Amino acid sequence: METQGTRLAAARAALSAVESRMGADRKAAEGPALALDEALAPVLPRGLPRGQVVAVEGSTSLMLALASRASREGAWTAMVGMPNVGVLAAARRGMDLNRLALIPYPGAQAPATLSVCLDGMDIVMVGQGVALSDADRRRLAARARERGCVMVVAGPWPGAHVALTVERVRWRGLGSGEGRLRERDVTVAIAGRSAGSTRRVVLTLDVDDQRVGSREPTGRTVVEDRALGTGAA
Amino acid sequence: MTAPLHDARVATVRRVVLWVPDWPVVAAMAQVGLGADAPAAVLHGRGMLAVSAAARAAGVRRGMRKRLAQRACPEIAILSHDEGRDAREFEAVAAAAEQVVAGVEISRPGLLMIPSQGAARFHGSEEALAEALVTRVAEDAGCESAVGIADGLLAAVMAARANALIEPGQSHDFLAPLPVDTLVHAAMERTQRAEVEDLVSVLTRLGLTALGDFTALPTADVVARFGHVGAWAQRMARGEDVAPPVLRRAEGDIGVEYVFEDPAERVEQLALVASHVAEQLDAALLAAASRCSRVRIGARTVTGDELVRVWRTDVGARSGAFSKHMADRVRWQLDGWLSGTATGPQPAPLTALMLTAEDVVPLGSEQSFLWGGTSGADARAHRALERVQGLLGAEGVLAVAEQGGRTPRDRVHALAWGQEGEPPRRVSHPWPGRIPDPAPATVLPVPLEVHVLDAGGSPVRVDSRLAVSAPPTWVRLQADPRDRVARAAHRHPSSGHVGGDDGPVWTSPLPVEAWAGPWPIVERWWSGDASRRAFLQLAMRGEDGQAEAALLVALHEGRWMLEAVYD
Repeated sequence: METQGTRLAAARAALSAVESRMGADRKAAEGPALALDEALAPVLPRGLPRGQVVAVEGSTSLMLALASRASREGAWTAMVGMPNVGVLAAARRGMDLNRLALIPYPGAQAPATLSVCLDGMDIVMVGQGVALSDADRRRLAARARERGCVMVVAGPWPGAHVALTVERVRWRGLGSGEGRLRERDVTVAIAGRSAGSTRRVVLTLDVDDQRVGSREPTGRTVVEDRALGTGAA
Repeated sequence: MTAPLHDARVATVRRVVLWVPDWPVVAAMAQVGLGADAPAAVLHGRGMLAVSAAARAAGVRRGMRKRLAQRACPEIAILSHDEGRDAREFEAVAAAAEQVVAGVEISRPGLLMIPSQGAARFHGSEEALAEALVTRVAEDAGCESAVGIADGLLAAVMAARANALIEPGQSHDFLAPLPVDTLVHAAMERTQRAEVEDLVSVLTRLGLTALGDFTALPTADVVARFGHVGAWAQRMARGEDVAPPVLRRAEGDIGVEYVFEDPAERVEQLALVASHVAEQLDAALLAAASRCSRVRIGARTVTGDELVRVWRTDVGARSGAFSKHMADRVRWQLDGWLSGTATGPQPAPLTALMLTAEDVVPLGSEQSFLWGGTSGADARAHRALERVQGLLGAEGVLAVAEQGGRTPRDRVHALAWGQEGEPPRRVSHPWPGRIPDPAPATVLPVPLEVHVLDAGGSPVRVDSRLAVSAPPTWVRLQADPRDRVARAAHRHPSSGHVGGDDGPVWTSPLPVEAWAGPWPIVERWWSGDASRRAFLQLAMRGEDGQAEAALLVALHEGRWMLEAVYD
């Protein structure tokens, strides 16, 4: 059965075949990337690109999910200016707490702290309340590119390579006075410097493993890919 | 248990055994400050583990239940069992014995073993050695002890219990009439003791009641029937040895102490001292040709408090920079103590500073990780975090670990990076009633007050039977004070209060999409920090009718608090 999705995949395959034949392979040009959880593959198909700034708006869970697999595989993570972060959620998402350092209140030393962290760590997460001027941000982004460190930033960041915005959250499992939070679907809007228009992806961020019942297993990831221009920008 | 077969001969050593009767109760009484003549017993599990002489005279026996013991002797002091305390307190006895002889083996707390030949020759005779030991232990450690001398381990232990001196070669005859359950006294570890107890019960049921009967059996048959334990027991019963005593060498701690001439109040006074002390410790370690992986930093204050913290040092990577590295840590720690930012007693001027090396290993034999040494990335990350600690202070960088608890905030343990410490609550304990997974990604360090309202706009109440007064329908969060619209609404007379704009600024009510709870968490009712809370999970509806982030709120003393956000 031919759907929009399969047609798109076939078109992409053809395009990449042409690119590799002509020596204009995008993968080779973009450099190395850290591994991502499979559930997040529709968001960043090539992984977490080293040396780039990923701005995440509206969800701390998504920030933690982005770093989880890389952390498990040996990457060091620093969380700067995030005093509210739920460390338990980080651990449940699979981050290795032994390779996690929290710098909750960098204060006026934030630019210096961040540049030291960019030197030594693989992933640096920056919270929303960190005092940085635009010049600091440009300098830090340049330093991240030079060092090959991924910056995952909460809130807007001018000039971010990838901007992820959580637009819609749907929780399952909660009723009126009964049940508990179990699973959640989020709609993530992906914009970026290199991507043309905004893509939207629906993914299941929390999966309840202990669920008992006869409910049919739904597909964990539903992709509404609107890269071909039909979606809202 | 390692019990060599009968052909693996070990020369039988003539030994002196120094035995302090009822050691667990003696140690416990010394700790709580009871006199030696008071009736006391140590309770472990369901029965008495050890009984003092006065209690025994009143009819209390080992293994007796607590109620029976109290009936036999109403004024008995029941003390708790603590193996760590037994071992710790016994150090004093071992140190006293080491004043008399060069090396001792602590077989278990309460029992010391010393090879007799050299020591007896030095003191003139075995009787003189025994007398010197008993006198010294009574004077220095303050407890009565019994000494026995014989060939072989079991014979020496039994001689100590009988306070006897068995002539060389007489051990076998001395042991032969004793009952088989004396074999238990030669077992020093708990697992070994259980095995020997099993063996003794089988021997008794077979009709072998004396050790002499047991040693008369052919060795090959004993090995075939009882295996290693049987072979070991038969050698013991003959008065032979399976292993020579392992003597310990008394070694002092590697450490330095610095006493201030005047009590130090400001960290500026201490910067030089910190680097001086660190250099001294480095030199002391170098003189002992060793390295350490942890350093205990201690200080005494004018009020008499002892402050102690343990810091990790990664010697493998940077042994050359040890003193500088350590000086930073000492300075940060002193800064924390003097400014009172670190948790602990009230800040007070310091009178002395102590640095002690822990986990000391010979130079060049540091243990690396199982899968190779630290990688370059790890060393790089550690260096970066240390530089940040230099910028922000030691408490500026936190290492986190999971610990036991019920609420998301309680389940995280944070310590300054590089500091050593165990989480105070175990994850493995059951923690009934904890908030279920998924864990919230935003946990407020200090809960913020929120308004949880029903459809009519009055606050939702939860009664003592956990009935909710009405379904929660609206939530008002605390708005950002910089939000101009919210502030204007707060000042407007329709907001319900008149005059002034103090107090928190509230957002307009947000609708609740779905909710669950209340879940009660009642903790630590027996202590000062008792809390009774009821938790609700609320899923919010956004402005465009779509669901938004979910909240975890708790009702605590009549006020709703925002604990965490599932964002």
